[in-house]
Amino acid sequence: MTQALKEMSLELFSGEIHALVGENGAGKSTLIKILTGIHKPDDGEMMFSGNGVQMNSSQEAQALGIAAIYQEPMVFPDLDVAENIFISHRKRGIWVQWEKMYDDAHKILSDLGMILDVRAPASGLTLASQQAVEIAKAISLNVKVLIMDEPTASLSNHEVEQLFKVARKLKQENVAVLFISHRLDEVFEIADRITVLRDGEHISTRSVEEFSREQLIREMVGREVDQFYATRQKKKLGKRVLSVKKLSKEAAFTGIEFDLHQGEVLSFAGLVGSRRTDVGLALFGIQPNDSGVIELDGQKVSIRSPKAAQNLGIAYMTEDRRKLGLAMPLSITSNITLPSLKRYLGRLGLVRTESEKSTAEEFKNRLQIKTPNLAHEVGKLSGGNQQKVMFSKWLNTQPKVFILDEPTRGIDVGAKAEVHNMIRELADQGMAILCISSDLPEVLAMSDRVLVMREGRQMGILDGPQATQESIMSLAMGELQESA
Amino acid sequence: MTNVWKYIRSWESFLCLVLILTISVNAVNSDAFLSIDNQVNLFTLSIEKVIIALIMAFIIINAEIDLSVASMMGLAACALGWLVDSGASMPTALAMCLLIGMLGGLFNGFWVTFMNLPSLVVTLAMLIGFRGLARVLVEDRSIRVFPSWFEELGQQPILGPLPLAVIIFFLLLILAVVVLRFTGFGRYVYVIGINKDMARYSGINVTAVKLILFALSGLISALAGILFAARLGSVRGDMGLGFELDIITMVLLGGVSIFGGSGSIYGVILSILIVLYLRNGMSLSNITGHLQTGVIGMLLIFSAMVPNLKNYWESLRASRS
Amino acid sequence: MNVIQGLRPEKLRELVLLILIALVLIVFSSVIENYLNARLFNRVSASVALMAVLAIGQTMVVLTRNIDLSVGSIVGFTAYFVGHQLSQYGDMHPMLAIFLAVGVGTLMGGINGILVAYCRIPSIIVTLGTMALYRTLLVEYSDAKTVLTVNLPRWLLDLPSLNLISFDRLHLRVLVVGMIVVVILFQIVLKYTSFGRKLYAIGSNPEAAKMAGFANQRMVLTAFLLCGALAGLTGFMFLARFGNITVVAGIGFELKSVAAVVVGGVNIFGGSGSAFGAFLGAVLIDLLENSLIRWLQISEFWRDALLGLLILISVATDSVIMKRFQLYWARKQARSSPET
Repeated sequence: MTQALKEMSLELFSGEIHALVGENGAGKSTLIKILTGIHKPDDGEMMFSGNGVQMNSSQEAQALGIAAIYQEPMVFPDLDVAENIFISHRKRGIWVQWEKMYDDAHKILSDLGMILDVRAPASGLTLASQQAVEIAKAISLNVKVLIMDEPTASLSNHEVEQLFKVARKLKQENVAVLFISHRLDEVFEIADRITVLRDGEHISTRSVEEFSREQLIREMVGREVDQFYATRQKKKLGKRVLSVKKLSKEAAFTGIEFDLHQGEVLSFAGLVGSRRTDVGLALFGIQPNDSGVIELDGQKVSIRSPKAAQNLGIAYMTEDRRKLGLAMPLSITSNITLPSLKRYLGRLGLVRTESEKSTAEEFKNRLQIKTPNLAHEVGKLSGGNQQKVMFSKWLNTQPKVFILDEPTRGIDVGAKAEVHNMIRELADQGMAILCISSDLPEVLAMSDRVLVMREGRQMGILDGPQATQESIMSLAMGELQESA
Repeated sequence: MTNVWKYIRSWESFLCLVLILTISVNAVNSDAFLSIDNQVNLFTLSIEKVIIALIMAFIIINAEIDLSVASMMGLAACALGWLVDSGASMPTALAMCLLIGMLGGLFNGFWVTFMNLPSLVVTLAMLIGFRGLARVLVEDRSIRVFPSWFEELGQQPILGPLPLAVIIFFLLLILAVVVLRFTGFGRYVYVIGINKDMARYSGINVTAVKLILFALSGLISALAGILFAARLGSVRGDMGLGFELDIITMVLLGGVSIFGGSGSIYGVILSILIVLYLRNGMSLSNITGHLQTGVIGMLLIFSAMVPNLKNYWESLRASRS
Repeated sequence: MNVIQGLRPEKLRELVLLILIALVLIVFSSVIENYLNARLFNRVSASVALMAVLAIGQTMVVLTRNIDLSVGSIVGFTAYFVGHQLSQYGDMHPMLAIFLAVGVGTLMGGINGILVAYCRIPSIIVTLGTMALYRTLLVEYSDAKTVLTVNLPRWLLDLPSLNLISFDRLHLRVLVVGMIVVVILFQIVLKYTSFGRKLYAIGSNPEAAKMAGFANQRMVLTAFLLCGALAGLTGFMFLARFGNITVVAGIGFELKSVAAVVVGGVNIFGGSGSAFGAFLGAVLIDLLENSLIRWLQISEFWRDALLGLLILISVATDSVIMKRFQLYWARKQARSSPET
């Protein structure tokens, strides 16, 4: 087994916000698990307020005053807000005093500047409110060290600001905050000191003034990064393939309108919560639209199921590879042929395995999937290779319109570049590509045009040269600026 | 080489070992055990359960469960008795029974797919519901109205020493192996069992596959009920009561994971043989039916522990290397 | 909408059940002559006394996302076991007999709990297995003999007809009062003790419960222990009520208890529901059965068929209502979230 963490050192002072950065697999989550008592280190020691401590469970960490909040908050959906805050108190006693609990919860939340109904069940809360509940829980436990594990990943800008306010407040109250984020802007905005991790090793710890952006990135990836992404050559667009007018779905999005041409890459940009994925799911028939018109090759079509979408030549590659993308225990071959299995059926509905294998072989060579053999379980491949299998799976349906949802999420830098090349090639061959991506540099490098969404509304379409980080972001946050 | 090792360490080969052990113990204990008569007989005595176990394997691989099969058996058998008793002709009555089975299965499937209810709850409710209907039809009577050809079909051998039910079982067995292992439908059954959402996102019609499986489960249970009626020559409200225990035990012991997505008919066949031989062996050693049920219950719990034991064994190996 | 705002989901559910029960009473009293009388109350209360106790045990288990199908066999075994002991040692103290029943039940529940919580086998499988196992135990132990009323001590036989209070012909029997005590006790445990709240938490989100440092396994075991204990108590009440105990005692009780729990609004996926709800569920089912059979003049054999349908319908409406309710809460939260 490879070592997740090697001779890691970290110092946290009370009243500081300490950022922890590093690529995927750098060892951040292992470190958090050790700090919160979920895992035990093989070696090394931990000092808390000057005393050596050993934590055997998350309860012991909690008793010391170490708490963590996560990107996906761990709330109890059936319990109400107040109870979610207080349920894990060890000194709660045998009897529950409901009224006192409601009062206390209300007080803590309003101190934080949050207005929440303490009697409402947690199942109806937004992600941001759930995090507020988690923070309130930590505060109620007299937290001394608060670990925030990518808390902003799913928040809107406004909600991030709110969270930062709370973090700064905790800092004033002498709490040590360990802040983990992939967003460098945020790190530079909030942190006092930054620690860089790479491949399970501690690279550097310095105060934020001593870091420049470039230097930080260099230390994170361990190599020079002048040119992360090659830019796309502007090409003449082919004929119109897909045309969408006034597409709407209740409680998701309204008034989406765009055209998509052969050989075009149209990116959907926007912050989390902008409902871009919902548009993709509507076009693929998983959550069909309520109103609006979809035209394919000039023909009005109605897409009510993934099967129908597939028959029309639309493919959708999900952002959630593990839960929605691949059958992990099955072989590479079975995964690749799954959506188009009908083509491989012979007499009596029997699967023609030879023909399956040759298809898989073809894709293995074309996309350079690295595997000893095609009967290998997909779950045992690396993230990048899994992504390639997912690409193969959908390319094999020979789509006219290919919807890619976060095509480079959770894969390493090398594989990312390969995926980008692949998308460009496909577009050059005349495929119409709709790419949902949260990675702005990627969006700029890949696309011919960029459609920007915000909270289910289309904010505008930026044509090639108009699209810059600034123009996209100002559209993505549009309404906020107007109202301010 | 690694493949050979993998096979030797597989659950199926463990079952083979247990099977050989059971056979040897039985053979030593009783001379009659290995005779063809006894073999056919022990198969015939449990043939209805064994037939249903085949479709149950599909259902559990699909990550669902059907607890209502035994009640459906009873309902179909009672419906047959009631229809014939009320003057329906034999062919009409048989067709009606199979139809009832299919509709009952579709009814289960409807609640599972369209209403999104857990199959555990739905089929538990229908375990009560179908049994209730069976009792409504025959109340506490025992109906004995079948023509003699029907009873003979259930009791007399028609091919060599084999009665009709055993022949039907072997046909269904071949069909099950082929469908699950070699057809597109079989692939869908596995994929949906592994991850239903992912299957939907891959353009598979999950609802249709599940509906077909539940309908088949009802249909085959009804068929088993008819065969049961033919074998006994009469029907009663409590026919097949508690059979679901044996059926699910056979499937789980065969290495089909209760969480779906894995398992094979081969394993199920081996476990069917083990369960049958165990029961037969216990009968030959004069152990009562009730005690046998207890042993089967224990076997069920043990077989559900299989995935955990497998994981434990593997983690032990991993930590050593 | 304002009335609903103040109500938690389970409160709403209890209210709906109370209205349904009232509705059943009103409707049937208008179609059946002489329907609302003391006999109906005595009859329904006597049978609900058993079922409600069992259903509350089942509630504890279902709250943790599990199910116990072996309770019917536990009821049967304890009824026979205690009956057998009493017919041999007639001078046994009544309290000792009750303790014996509860103890045996707890033991059997403990076996279920250990297998589910510590061996990590799905509860449906474990209890399907132990359902057969405990029944076998009963058959072996009893040697297919019957506990006969004539061999039982006098006090036990008098117990079911012992009234605490009587109004005219309306009797509040001791067993019924016992049941009411159990309902109140468990309602308090579930609502006002941290143990009860943790039970909800575990069913609501097991991973979060683990992260919060709850002893999930021990809690699940405790739920099964309590369920077994209450099943044992039900066994004792069964013995008192029927006197003659055969090997089929309590068969089908597991399904009825699940039905009462589900109709009573306990979420089959764990995390929500209440003891009072389970009690109301048991009352509604029994009342419906009694009334329908009397009204339609249909045979008692319809009972099971209707029961099956009732479970399905209540689970389905439950999931629909809950979805609506969550949507409503989500909208309300969205509206009240700060805009500044």
